[in-house]
Amino acid sequence: MAEIRIENVTKVFGDFVAVDDASITVRDQEFLVLLGPSGCGKTTLLRAVAGLGMADAGRIMIGDRDVTYARPGDRNISMVFQSYAIFPHMTVRENIGFGLKMNNASQGEITSNVEEAAELLHIGDLLDRRPNEMSGGQRQRVAVARALAMKAEVLLMDEPLSNLDALLRLEMRAELKRLLREVKATTIYVTHDQIEALSMGDRIAVMKDGLIQQVDEPSTVYAEPKNQFVGSFIGNPPMNFLRGKVHMASDSVAVAIGGSEIVPSPELRDAVSSFDGRAITLGIRAENMGALNAQEANTVRVQVDVVEPLGAQNLLTVRVGDDTLKVSTHPTFPVSPGDELWLKFPADQIRWIDPDSGEVIAGGTS
Amino acid sequence: MSTSNPSRRRSFTPYFLIAPTLVFLAAFFAWPMVQGLILAVHDDEALLPLVAVASVEGDRTGELSQGAAVEILGQQGNTVEGELTSDLLTEQWFRVTAVGTDGAAVDGWAPETRIRVRDEANDGTPLAGTVRPRLGEGAEPLTDVLAEPNERAEVTGSLDDRAEVEITQVTVLEVWFNVRGESNDGATIEGWAPSRFITTFESGEEGRVDRGSDGEFTLRFVERMFNDRFFSPALRTTLLLMAIILPLQFLLAIGMALIVHSRLKGGSGWLYIFSLPMGMSDLAVGILFFAIFTSNGLLNSILDLFGLIEEPQVFLSADTRGWIIGAIVLAELWRATSIVMVIIVSGLQAIPDETLEAAELFGATYWKRVRYIMLPLLKPSLLVALILRTILAFQVFAVVIALSGGEIVTVLANETFRQYFSLRNNNVASAYAVFILLLSLASSVFYLRIVRTQDELASR
Repeated sequence: MAEIRIENVTKVFGDFVAVDDASITVRDQEFLVLLGPSGCGKTTLLRAVAGLGMADAGRIMIGDRDVTYARPGDRNISMVFQSYAIFPHMTVRENIGFGLKMNNASQGEITSNVEEAAELLHIGDLLDRRPNEMSGGQRQRVAVARALAMKAEVLLMDEPLSNLDALLRLEMRAELKRLLREVKATTIYVTHDQIEALSMGDRIAVMKDGLIQQVDEPSTVYAEPKNQFVGSFIGNPPMNFLRGKVHMASDSVAVAIGGSEIVPSPELRDAVSSFDGRAITLGIRAENMGALNAQEANTVRVQVDVVEPLGAQNLLTVRVGDDTLKVSTHPTFPVSPGDELWLKFPADQIRWIDPDSGEVIAGGTS
Repeated sequence: MSTSNPSRRRSFTPYFLIAPTLVFLAAFFAWPMVQGLILAVHDDEALLPLVAVASVEGDRTGELSQGAAVEILGQQGNTVEGELTSDLLTEQWFRVTAVGTDGAAVDGWAPETRIRVRDEANDGTPLAGTVRPRLGEGAEPLTDVLAEPNERAEVTGSLDDRAEVEITQVTVLEVWFNVRGESNDGATIEGWAPSRFITTFESGEEGRVDRGSDGEFTLRFVERMFNDRFFSPALRTTLLLMAIILPLQFLLAIGMALIVHSRLKGGSGWLYIFSLPMGMSDLAVGILFFAIFTSNGLLNSILDLFGLIEEPQVFLSADTRGWIIGAIVLAELWRATSIVMVIIVSGLQAIPDETLEAAELFGATYWKRVRYIMLPLLKPSLLVALILRTILAFQVFAVVIALSGGEIVTVLANETFRQYFSLRNNNVASAYAVFILLLSLASSVFYLRIVRTQDELASR
């Protein structure tokens, strides 16, 4: 059992608050991805868990132990570094066995663990090579094997794929996911790549400016971002945001957007109507809008600027007043730049956002 | 074809960069080194060639070695080749006109040994004189006047004793000696040589070859160095100092570098403190430590202050060689450890932080990180420092001079100095210098070989 509990951790560098009162619980054997733009504090938080930079406030628990101020070597963790940090003067075998040797494991245990880890990463035939005789991808595998050979309950990964080329990254992504399922370690994986996060994580913790924005399963983070930042950071293309104005129409509330009107779903009417007379932000994903040739309920008239055929879909860039939207349509939908068409906004796919705080007012789908 | 393909045009830039380097290496490295080497094994003044007649064009009759004893059979003035130098043994010849013995007018040359100058112009140019009388029984009463300022020239007339002459011209000739001596192969040879190469003794009939004008390659200077009574003490002391200083120095330097690298509070302050001695000349450091260890120096004052001694101790004397060695070791440690530290610090800084963090994370304690990560990765830096320090240790000099005066404790560099300055023997000094160079070279090659073999073994 190795649950990681990060409780109210704060880390400050001079005047800069790198991590601000962060609390996350990583469940036993869970794969948690810490996602955020560079400088958001995700690596700092990971290092606090690793013990490479002590937290200034808060508490870090691994299993039942408080390790906030424990030495890295005493935390029963292992780690894959961004630069791999494999030891250049040692063979692959010595590199993988280093942690075990430092922990005074028996020679037999070292040998068997090293060979097992090397087998898992398909580098069994490289064991007597030195790092300078290997490619970047092979070094990456050595770094992962070294971390796995420890058989620690907690595995930390700091952007392990960021130094690989695109194709290799794709390959390693799937392989890492398979491996981590096999080794059953509790894993915290830091990345700035939202696709990695979505594809690998059991849960994703999105960070920005030292603050944790949302911790949820990938599908939830994608479909129901808690605020404008999460919506804009995750997904390709990112979520669209439109300005609208709320007004009460007869017995109901409606939001005016570029001369059209959108009516929120029944369960959100009260929340939206509290913005009566004020601006509101409407967030919606590209694939959740329907492109139509004729007006319907909850449609907005837009002008097409750019059409990008992407094979499985066409990505349209359209304009509504001052706002620009990305809309994906079926490749057979006939459209060309300069056309005008109608976009349908399904009420249950819309995220209503308070434009002042950037927070979502209430959920869209059930 | 590279010429037909414009994209493969040849770049000359590297050659522009390389050429000055080669010139620099040749002019400031290779040339002086070759000259030094030649000086050690080549005696420029080993041989004095003798010629059949007193002229530079004369045929060689043989060679005498430097220092060979000679019998001086005769001497003669001879035209000096090139410019006159002040240390030549010379004689003046005068061109005189006078009335001869037979009443006819005589015009010709006579040496200064035959003419006494009686009248001089204001600037010292002789104008007139008299023929010196020859004294003694049976002496030739007449003085010959010659067609040229040369004793073998044709006689143009004779003058009586005390005859008055007018001096029309003066010339200065170098004296050549006709000598007889024993050559290297034991044969007795005779011939002429310029007087500047020969020292004459009181009598004027015997002398010695002072120096030769011809060189030869010889191992004499090298032999003299090896047989020098200071050679083996100097070599032993140099090696002893090295054996004591280098290990201590590297331990200290690694410790200091780890302190600087540990980024304690004021870490950069430690760097400044540790590298302070680098700014001091080795002689100054030697004098500083002399001031500490001398009989009325700092060490005695402190010992006295704490009542540990009754009277000042003499640390630096011929009877306390151990103390002198100790003081030299301390001074050298104080002075030269910082350069090793700086090299190691730069080596430590080249180790990525993540590498050390990885080691820490995988459970390596500080000492294990030093042992398994830092020291192996520092190997290139340590090698550079070791080569540098070994070479400098072979050259240790000023500190030794300052603390021992170069007599009680002597080192190789001091012997070079002694041969060059006190004994004025450039060749033996050069032999010492070349010896130090070869030791340095050998040790560097040795270190590099050891490291390479280790790497080869490790990669197997």
